Order: sequence, then structure tokens, then C-alpha cells
Amino acid sequence: MAAAHAGEARRPELRRAVTPWGSFAWGYSDVGADIFVGLGLVLAAAAGASNVAFLFAGIVYVCIGLAYTELAAAYPFAGGGSYFVLRGLGDIFGFIAGWAVLLDFTIDITLFAWSCVDYSGQLAPVLVGSVHPWIHFFAALGLIVGLCALNVVGVRESTAFNGVVSALDVVSETTILCLGFLFAFRPDLLVHNMTVSWPTPYQLMLGTSLAIISFVGLESISQAAQETYRPSSIIPRTSTALILTILIFALSYSNLALGMQPWHPILGAHGHHLQFWQIFPGNADNQGKAVALLAAQVPYWGAVAALYVPVLGAILVLISSNSGVFGSSRIAYAMSRSNLLPSLFQRVHPRFRTPVVSLVAFCGLAAITLIFAALPSLFPGAMHFYARVFHGESGLDFLADLYAFGAATSYSFVFLALIALRLVDPHSPRKFKIPLNIPIRFRSEQTSIPVLGIVGFIGIFSILVFTLMTHPIGRVAGPAWLVVGVILYFIYRKHRKLPFLHSQPHDWRQDQEEILRTSGDLELLDQYHAALKAADERKATNA
Amino acid sequence: MIQLGGGVQATVVGAAAAVVIASLIALTFWWMLHPPASFVEKQAKEAESELERMVGSIVVVFTPEIASSHMMALAAKLARGERSDLLALYVVELPYTLPPDAEMPQEERSALDALGAAETIAKNNGISIRTEIIKARSTKQAVLDIAKRERANLLVLGDYREGKYLGSPLSRTIEEIAADAKCDVLIGVEGKHGTLLVGEPETEGEVSPPPAF
Repeated sequence: MAAAHAGEARRPELRRAVTPWGSFAWGYSDVGADIFVGLGLVLAAAAGASNVAFLFAGIVYVCIGLAYTELAAAYPFAGGGSYFVLRGLGDIFGFIAGWAVLLDFTIDITLFAWSCVDYSGQLAPVLVGSVHPWIHFFAALGLIVGLCALNVVGVRESTAFNGVVSALDVVSETTILCLGFLFAFRPDLLVHNMTVSWPTPYQLMLGTSLAIISFVGLESISQAAQETYRPSSIIPRTSTALILTILIFALSYSNLALGMQPWHPILGAHGHHLQFWQIFPGNADNQGKAVALLAAQVPYWGAVAALYVPVLGAILVLISSNSGVFGSSRIAYAMSRSNLLPSLFQRVHPRFRTPVVSLVAFCGLAAITLIFAALPSLFPGAMHFYARVFHGESGLDFLADLYAFGAATSYSFVFLALIALRLVDPHSPRKFKIPLNIPIRFRSEQTSIPVLGIVGFIGIFSILVFTLMTHPIGRVAGPAWLVVGVILYFIYRKHRKLPFLHSQPHDWRQDQEEILRTSGDLELLDQYHAALKAADERKATNA
Repeated sequence: MIQLGGGVQATVVGAAAAVVIASLIALTFWWMLHPPASFVEKQAKEAESELERMVGSIVVVFTPEIASSHMMALAAKLARGERSDLLALYVVELPYTLPPDAEMPQEERSALDALGAAETIAKNNGISIRTEIIKARSTKQAVLDIAKRERANLLVLGDYREGKYLGSPLSRTIEEIAADAKCDVLIGVEGKHGTLLVGEPETEGEVSPPPAF
């Protein structure tokens, strides 16, 4: 017997060792950093309606979060959104969703490396972008190259490190918000700012499309699903906690920023007093480090917060940038294994055993986007060109545009996949289901349509439309990225003699059994077998 | 509105918002970190609580035919981990042909050796131990009486094989104690005299380590 077992080739599997806190921290290190970047951008765009912009984006985000929770708990596989869409809608849409996520992760690398330099600039003035653009540029480029090198040699931040930083950040942000509301919040000021500084509909749409970037990164929890212990039970809790935490922070920050009485008076160019939110419009330096500026204005605690929040913020956004490096290579690897991308992306370094081609390719793309983002500040001539063609968007706006476009596109497909999977795969056990469902019969099987899935799709699709309407660069570069991707996909599939519009054969039933067998929730495997058996019996009876 | 030092003002709405934020965050994390247990986790928890019940008081039994020396180290580690009371008991069986106060110097000498070794093991493991030598007509009855007196949760007994299969590796006394004891009984059969693995060929696929020159 022993010899027989020794002779069997056992496929290595990802070890399920991620705990509830580890799963939360994995997502938080990605999503939690977004508010550090998004707050300033939204305050600059939506002014007195920033809290409304966050509320609208937050409602959509809750729907997205619930959709991801249901899908990640039912299909705990490392592919994330791309895998859900591949399974629900087929190869071509799986590719488009995965390609959009790749855009998001690539921009994530650049945007958060940029923001890391901005937060560091709060303590080290030599890094302030408007004063020393070349130093700012090379610092961000150095971070991208450094993260790429670290990932190639296989050094990544540990889950424990993520857990500690996430815990520190949750405590820190809760403290800032509680003390801010306690000592600096003036309800009458909030009402005044919302009344006097209410934006135009165009600005509100712009602000809403930017607010969605504060909620991007739920993908990370589903990415980690395959390594999470008992994912069907744990992921619904960690996802819901992440959704609530981020929503509480985003709504609280935006309301506090609008109703905040600064600890120290803020004077404008002409010596008159400014409201706190008024330091953001037209000031890219401030937009990039909004949370640090807000924390410094909290009475009493601000003296301490001004010292540690920039450091904590810089570490958190750097981890987020690293999750972009790691995530893009991982998704490219998974897409390549599903024959959606060339096998080149599966190539691993002979010594370090890391997907070196994917890492270098997407970090290279991130460096190119950094150059495009930094051009106006580096060369005044380019600024005129950007002003004429792209209405003078700053580098940070450029990155945020693409980030919002990629997120809105991939999330739209995820909603469609959620609805499609309810119809085509009603037998997979769903330990968590989005609330509000309409029961229907489809192909003689009892199933249901998620109402919140439809609401969420309408919401995210409208944000995608807002993005295309209000972001001059986003409406050019975003669709261009997708078109280039589809052309490359067509060439690749033709080369491999695989169908272009149709899907290659998949054995989803066997895949699902394998996923449930290794997930640690063996009761779900029993449920799945029972559901399949009942369905087969029904079919036999009908026949 | 309450005026504080340095021109800072606190409002009731702001204070209420602060309390709500802190409470929501705390409740969210408490809920997240307490997921429902799965079937296997419930089973594991039950088994662990059984262990606590099992090892509150441990009695390690020695007699001329119950060789528990090799189990003593295990019992000591168990007692240390679970902070149990540990008693090493040596029963000298007195034949009916002898009077109740008969001297049995050879057996008593063996008892002192066995219990001395037990005390050394306990000392090395940093735990306290009580030792006791008793004479009895029936070993089984004596062990059961002591177990009852001590309210023992676990009786530890050891046995050995002499390399020849005789139908059962356990002695009659051990079988009787295991059958009648009202607590858990842990019996360890020493394996070093076993023959199963001796002379077995190496399994296919295993590579012998290279010789060291």
C-alpha cells in the first residue's frame, strides 16, 4: 500500500492557512488604502456633495461586496472575478473581465506608488510633487522597480505583517474619526457647506466616479479564497466586515471633512479663512495625502497624528501597490492556465520559481503609465498638450480615471456572472446568498434572480457611464486597453486553434467537486452531490 | 455645545457620531472573528473538553507484572500540560499463603526502584508527584479502590511483549482493571520487542542515504 501511495503523483495545492483576520487583512491592505487616495480627489471634485458621492458609490459598493461574497464563498478559487465571469459567461467575457482587472491592478501599482511618495512628502518636503517633480517621479519609479524586483526574487510581505499594519490602521482611523467627530465636528458647518458648495451635476458625476475608487480591492479576498480555511463560512464574514468597515470610514471621513472646524486656521492665498475641504480643489499635492492632512487638524490628537499617520498611510498604500504587483502576475498566470493569455505568462524564473514574465510585463506597463501621468509636471510643453486635449487633468486624475474605468468594467461583468451562475449552476451550494431574490424556474430547475445584483449592475454601469462622460483620458485610454486586449486575444486563440467567441470545453462539475473537497467544508460537498443526484433523477423522470 | 480649551468645541451630535462609529467598528470585528463552528470543529472541541475531564487526576500503576516505567514519562508530560494531580502507585500482591503482615523485601526493593524512577521523571518535568506502596491480596481490587479514593480520571498501565504472540499482549490483571474501572484507562504496550518491522525490505521508491566517507 505504501508503495502504491508513494508512486501516485500528487498535484501540489495551495495550503489553506489564512485565518478570518488574515482574510480580512488581505482585503483591507488593498481596499483600506483606497480612502487615503480617494478622499482628496472626491473632495476636490464633488465639493459640498462629497458625502453624497461617497454614499451613492457606497451603495453600489455594498452590492458589489455582496456579489463577491456570494461568488467567493460558492467558488473559492484563486482566479477571483475573472474566474466567476469565465464560468458564468464564457471564455471571451472571462478574458474581458480579467483584462479589465489587469488594468486595475497595473494602475494600482502606479497610483499607490505615487500616493506613497505623496504621503512620505508630508514628512520629507523634498518629495513634494509640485516643488520637486523629478524627485517625485524617480521616487515613484524606484518604488515600482523595487517592488518588481522583490516579487521576482520571491520576497513578499507576510500575511502577519499585513495583519499588524491593518490592525494598526483600523485602530488609528477609528481614533481619528472618533476624536474628530468629538472635538472638531460642527453639524451646522456641514449643512452650510452642503448648501453653499453644492456641485453641478457634472461635478457630482465626476465625484461619484472617483468615489468608487475608494472601494476597489474586494477582488483580493476572493483571490485569497483558495488559501482560506473553510472559505464558505469565513469569507462571508470577512467580506461583510470589510464592506462595513470601509463604508463606515468613507462616509465618516467625507462628512467629517465637510463639517470640520480645523484645529489651526487655514489661510488662503489672499489671507482669508478656508474651510478644510477647500484645500483640495486644484491642489494635487494635498489630494494625494488627504487623510494625513485631516488627521493633523483633529484637536489635541492631531499633534501626534501628524507624525505617524503619514508613515502609516505610506506603508498601507505601499502594501496596496505591492498587492497590485502580486495580483496582476497572479491573474495573468491564472488566465494563461485557462487559455485566455499565452503560456508565456506562466513562465517561472528557473531559480526563484516566480512568474517573472508576468511580473516584469505588468510592472513595465505600470512604469509606462507613470510616465504618462508625470509628463505634465515634468515638461511644461506636455502640460499645454494635456490641457488642450484632456482638459488639464493632473497625473493623479489620469491614474484615478483608469482605475475607476477598470473597476467599473470588471464589476459590471461580475454582476452579470452572478446572475448567469444562479441560472446555469443552481446546484453549487451557496452558504451565503445576496438578500432579496425572486424565485424562478429555469430549464426545469428551481433557482432565483438576485434583485440586488440587478440594482448593483445598474449602479456600477451608471458609474462606468459617468467615468466615460467625465474623464477625458479615461474614455480614451480605458476602451483602448480593452480593444487592444481583444485583438491580442483573437490572435492568440487563432494561433492556438481555439474558438474565439465560443468557449473551450470545461468540466465544471469536476472542478466544483475538487474545490469543495479541498475547502474544509465537507458538508457542502455532500449537499452538492445530493443536489446533483436529485437533478439527475428529475431529468430521468422527465425523460 | 461644550466649550473646551484652545477654542475647541464639542457637540452632542459629534459625540453621538463618535460613539456610533466606535460601537459599529467594535461590533463588526467581534462578529467577524466569531464564525459558527463546523461539524469537525465541534467534534474537535468535544474531544478537547473530554481530555480536560480525562486528566484531572492521574494514577500510574506499577506491579511486578504491570511494567509502567515507559508510560511514566508520558504521564508526566500529560500531567504537566494539563496541571493534573499525579500519583505513582506500586501494588505488592500478597499471596493468600502468607499472613497479612508478611515481609516481602525483594518486592519492596523493586517498588522503591520503580517509584524512585517515577519521582526522577516527575522532577525532570517540573511537576510534583505523590508515591505510594500498598500490599494487597488482589492487585485489581487494590488499584480500583485507590482510583476511587483518589477520584482518578485516568489510570495509566504499561505492559510489554517478549517477542512471541500469546493471544493477547495484555496481562490478565490489566484486562480486569480495564474491564471494571469507572474511569478512563490508558494502556501502553511497549513496542521495542516487537518483530513486525524487523528485517522488512525497504519500500519501493525510497532511496537509502549515501554513505558518509
